[in-house]
Amino acid sequence: MTALLPARLRPSSSPRRAPRRRRRGVPVAERIALVVVVLIIVIAIIGPWIAPYDPYRVDLAQALQPPSAAHWFGTDVNGRDVLSRVLVGAQVTLSATGIVLLITLVIGVIVGTVAALGGRVVDEVLMRITDIGLALPSIILALGFAVALGPGLQSAVVAIAATWWPGYARLVRSIVRETRHAEFVESAVALGVSRWRLVTKHILPNSLDPMYVQVTLDVAAVMLVISGLSFVGVGAQVPSAEWGAMIASAADNVLNGWWALVFPGLAIAITAIAFNLSGDWLRVRQDPTLRDGGAR
Amino acid sequence: MTALLEISGLRVSYPGVDEPVEVVHGVDLVVPQGRKVALVGESGSGKSVTARSVLQLDPDATIAGSIRLGGQELVGAAPKIVRGIRGSGAGLVFQDPLTSLNPVMRIGWQIMQPLVIRGVSKKEARERGIALLDRLGVVNAAARFDDYPHQFSGGMRQRVVIAIAIIAEPALLIADEPTTALDVQVQAQVLELLHEVADERGMGVLLITHDLAIVAGFADDVVVMRHGEVVESAPVDELFAAPKHPYTRGLLGAIPRLDSDPSVRLTSVADYVDTFETVDDEPAAPAAENGAAR
Repeated sequence: MTALLPARLRPSSSPRRAPRRRRRGVPVAERIALVVVVLIIVIAIIGPWIAPYDPYRVDLAQALQPPSAAHWFGTDVNGRDVLSRVLVGAQVTLSATGIVLLITLVIGVIVGTVAALGGRVVDEVLMRITDIGLALPSIILALGFAVALGPGLQSAVVAIAATWWPGYARLVRSIVRETRHAEFVESAVALGVSRWRLVTKHILPNSLDPMYVQVTLDVAAVMLVISGLSFVGVGAQVPSAEWGAMIASAADNVLNGWWALVFPGLAIAITAIAFNLSGDWLRVRQDPTLRDGGAR
Repeated sequence: MTALLEISGLRVSYPGVDEPVEVVHGVDLVVPQGRKVALVGESGSGKSVTARSVLQLDPDATIAGSIRLGGQELVGAAPKIVRGIRGSGAGLVFQDPLTSLNPVMRIGWQIMQPLVIRGVSKKEARERGIALLDRLGVVNAAARFDDYPHQFSGGMRQRVVIAIAIIAEPALLIADEPTTALDVQVQAQVLELLHEVADERGMGVLLITHDLAIVAGFADDVVVMRHGEVVESAPVDELFAAPKHPYTRGLLGAIPRLDSDPSVRLTSVADYVDTFETVDDEPAAPAAENGAAR
């Protein structure tokens, strides 16, 4: 009789098969990812203090040592400890990424919201500017900034932010245009709520959920572009422990010193995956209907 | 009796493809102080547009004529005046309690909002909010004050919506099909509650509905709208006893009743008036007199 039912509908008789109580909220993969994200952020903060060696000290006698007890991740072509450089590099790479995303988010939300609520002319003007921004490739723009401001991490950050915000502006605009017609927004208008309050308390809190997801997904993407710009030489400059710059300088010796390239590469990959997985968890947390386990 | 809301010659139009499309053609309507007026009509008759134009909620709508709330002319009034009216001059209860509450804000925050934006202290707003929610029959109001909307059932949410609409003590409550989204039993509770609270506070009520069955027990006066015009307007007893306009007779004839003869078919509005006719209905001879004229 019970065999006719699909497994999930069958009453479970043996205690072994009794459904284990799933802890609410965070599934295993996301939980690991969150731990990793926290760990990476902690490393980014305390990296310089826990690094076993000075990440910038050149010691040619120790050049290209393979991973060992003394140098867990080996040493690079200049004899610098790779572990120390990866630990310190977390700070460089993550803070640059964070600044890019902060600038991007602020500009994107302001431009998108104003375009969505500001009437036809304002919308048209802002969206055409956005289109121009979208058309600019960040690498080319970064090269331009590198010429204008001098190559360096700041130029890379400014260049990426300048090419990254238009996507956010478009996303915010389309969501806000939808949210402002929601009945609870009309209901707030009917209560005499001011325009500012309407935007900040009613429209934006109900529009930004997809943005949080976008930001966490973009942590990985922006980090890769920063590393990429450093790799081609317009981002972080040579002695810097920025992960992309490390890979760039290690690329020449990939055959006899793979560790100097692989470990910063792994750092980038793990950070990217961890932030991507956390993005989904953050989305779930932001939604009160999911947070409290659904309707009562 | 002084008129709380006085609408005269109201015309509302929306931008069309070539020229503006007028959807309300000169409506006259009065809600006296403390009375309950039902505005009934079929979908698309302009009843919602008429009621919402009091608060001027639709920025696309062009409003002409006169709307006076407590003697204050609202058509062509400064935006500041209109905003001042919203919430404290006239409260609005929306049709769907599932979508008219902000999903990310606690219901207490939403109930307090009309007071807070008018400068009432948070503490006082909270006390008044809890007291009102309690009055509206939400069990354990103080504890549930900090819940989110999704933690409430449909009927409870509509009570929250009503609380939000009346907490700033408007003289007029506009209820736009407040019970359409609720099941019949909860409908009755909510309507009774609205009735009681309106009487307690001396509020005038403009109830918009297409359901004549709930009008009889609720309203003092009935205004029947069709195709953007008022076709009949009368005290509720008079209208139900002797409907003058064939359209009203058609509406009443279409309501099933316990004492009607099961072998006789209910009539349709189309038996009384030409459904596709747009304006200027000539009263036509009804095809059947079943039900309507009793």
